[in-house]
Amino acid sequence: MWSALEKMPAPATTYERIVYKNPSEHHYMKVCLEFQDRGVGLNAAQFRQLLISALKDLFGEVDAALPLDILTYEEKTLSAILRICSSGLVKLWSSLTLLGSYKGKKCAFRVIQVSPFLLALSGNSRELVLD
Amino acid sequence: MATLRRLREVPRHLLVCEKSNFGHDKSRHRHLVETHYHNYRVSILIPECGILSKELKNLVMETGPYYFVKNLPLHELITHDFINTFVKKGSCCALTYNTNIDEDNTVALLPDGKLILSLDKDTYEETGLQGRPSQYSGRKIMKFSAEESTMMSYFSNYQIQEHQPKIALSTVTELQCPVLQSSALRGAPEAACSAPELLDWLGAVFSHAELNNEPNNFISTYCCPQPSTVLAKAYLCTITGFILPEKICLLLEQLCHYFDEPKLAPWVTLSVQGFADSPVSWRENEHGFRKGGEHLYNFVIFNNQDYWLQMAVGANDDCPP
Repeated sequence: MWSALEKMPAPATTYERIVYKNPSEHHYMKVCLEFQDRGVGLNAAQFRQLLISALKDLFGEVDAALPLDILTYEEKTLSAILRICSSGLVKLWSSLTLLGSYKGKKCAFRVIQVSPFLLALSGNSRELVLD
Repeated sequence: MATLRRLREVPRHLLVCEKSNFGHDKSRHRHLVETHYHNYRVSILIPECGILSKELKNLVMETGPYYFVKNLPLHELITHDFINTFVKKGSCCALTYNTNIDEDNTVALLPDGKLILSLDKDTYEETGLQGRPSQYSGRKIMKFSAEESTMMSYFSNYQIQEHQPKIALSTVTELQCPVLQSSALRGAPEAACSAPELLDWLGAVFSHAELNNEPNNFISTYCCPQPSTVLAKAYLCTITGFILPEKICLLLEQLCHYFDEPKLAPWVTLSVQGFADSPVSWRENEHGFRKGGEHLYNFVIFNNQDYWLQMAVGANDDCPP
């Protein structure tokens, strides 16, 4: 009787190489919302609503419904990792750039990192501080 | 119409996925690790593991040190003394600190002794050196990584600091994880996930994203690619700093030996991210920063010594070798 760990090993796989051009259906953005005044807080749902209204203000109802996910959100620092369909990246990014206020309070989005590969957003070499 | 089309366009990116076996004579895994010089972050994921083995832990703790030298004139890197002491030994890498490859002059030293200068037009004309235009667009603070601790005494006339890479170790429980078959790089319907799906999932794990959202969730609908299984636990290890390719080779070798004894894990992963502002990606392939500056690779090491290698680059990059 063979146990699961004693099975005959499968033969070594053959070499194969695939080059994908523009394979990512999504792009990922690491962003941070900064307010001119302190003390403004948003929860994840309010943050998402803000993104939707930014898209709607610039591009209208249809693009406000672009598939957009908040993969991570930190309420303390108002920073998030967003996932947007690749065809909506330019629209989302430009909406974030042109957003100037939330409930009458001046604010701005800082786009820290953008990549079609989510793994690239787990580290940012430009944040390496050595001084 | 052209404007509408441009609104939907994104910068070109490439993902190369390869599969092979470590036992194959022509396997290029060593060469590809050794020729990716400027590494910022190394991440390891081991499914069904609660604690690192002593050998792996020692290797992880010994990936440093690296050195930070302020206001180092460039000519110090081409003196006979420097070349004999460090460059000829073959393990010396350097990269200018806090210089953006898309804005500033950037210099890199490769282990084979090549000095790469990426300069703006004015600086290039001032140097009078012969160069070539970038395929895609002074006195600076330098950072080094070297095998020798003689680095501290060699640059004692300058402000030099020794740094150790930052290491983060953690375990996650109840982790949803894609099912893979080592022979099926493209995946198999209902049976296995593809290499690009695995890479995406790995990004979600290391970004600490929620992997199990409902399709009607307002905040996020992201979920683990299917088919998937649930791991009781997984070990995550991240090393951040300026890491030599030789150290990464040692880690890769040790991970290959992970399966010398029977393990519950079907595979382990080793991911490496390059410095966004390095002027080269692999070998002397030009690297640039369009929107992301990413150049990264990931190994999936299976328990039968098969492996997958994914190499990803952005717009201002040559195709990985």
